[in-house]
Amino acid sequence: MGRMSAPGGAPAAPTGGTAVVERPDADSLTQTPWVTIVWDDPVNLMSYVAHVFTQYFHYPRAKAEKLMMEVHTKGKAVVSSGSREAMERDVNAMHDFGLWATLDRSE
Amino acid sequence: MKRFERKGKKLVTSFEPEEVQLLHSLVLQLVELLDEHGRRDEAAPAQAPTDDPFAFWERDLQEHPDQPEVPEDPVLQRLFPDAYPHDPRASSDFRRFTERDARAAKLAAAQVVLEGLESCRNGRDLKVPLDHADAWLKTLTNLRLSLATRLQITDAESAELLAALPEDDPRAFLYGVYEWLAFAQETLVQSL
Repeated sequence: MGRMSAPGGAPAAPTGGTAVVERPDADSLTQTPWVTIVWDDPVNLMSYVAHVFTQYFHYPRAKAEKLMMEVHTKGKAVVSSGSREAMERDVNAMHDFGLWATLDRSE
Repeated sequence: MKRFERKGKKLVTSFEPEEVQLLHSLVLQLVELLDEHGRRDEAAPAQAPTDDPFAFWERDLQEHPDQPEVPEDPVLQRLFPDAYPHDPRASSDFRRFTERDARAAKLAAAQVVLEGLESCRNGRDLKVPLDHADAWLKTLTNLRLSLATRLQITDAESAELLAALPEDDPRAFLYGVYEWLAFAQETLVQSL
């Protein structure tokens, strides 16, 4: 992602040794076999990506920031899960915001 | 330009006249690209309509033998990426069902920006109503994605190389525009 605004002005480097692999809500994933994935790109600004997650998904600020950082540091993040139809809607909306998103079966 | 700042229910900044001119021409280029793509798209299925779904699919398969209709222009590829990276067939279907509306949505957002720019000619402040903010953010994003594709910004390193170009390099101007759009977008998000 673009580098303009690491939260708090700090450089957005992943901090070593503290990584916690978070599985997105296990219950909803087993029942809903599709996910929307947002991929890191060098253009979209971090502040904008977080804005999109609050604006479109209505995620609380903290969750949106966390997902944005996951995209930035890990290269991608699962941002929603549900039926294939619902995920196509989400991917379409992400494309409308200019984010690079794909859908896939959840594992 | 100055930073966007929120004043009541408006997000306000002031552009220099040449900035209005520049942004206006960039948005028009984007509109033209999207329009052209749309026309080509709609020209294709202009054969005799058929009510027979099998005939429709048969023709469809002949026209697009197992290939997704990925746009040739790399900018359009980035604006309308494949939804299914491992499944060209599904990506192709996704395009068929969504692309017309997706293009119309980008055009509508661009139109909001063009109207906003009209209102701030003669050196008046630009006042973006809150409910127009996303149209502005999306359009600034589409412009930045377009420029980044032309400038071949594929990762953080390529962006840094461009930032270090001498001023007389033709790409330096475009990169300057790209960074200016980033400033506009960043301060617009922060002003919300």
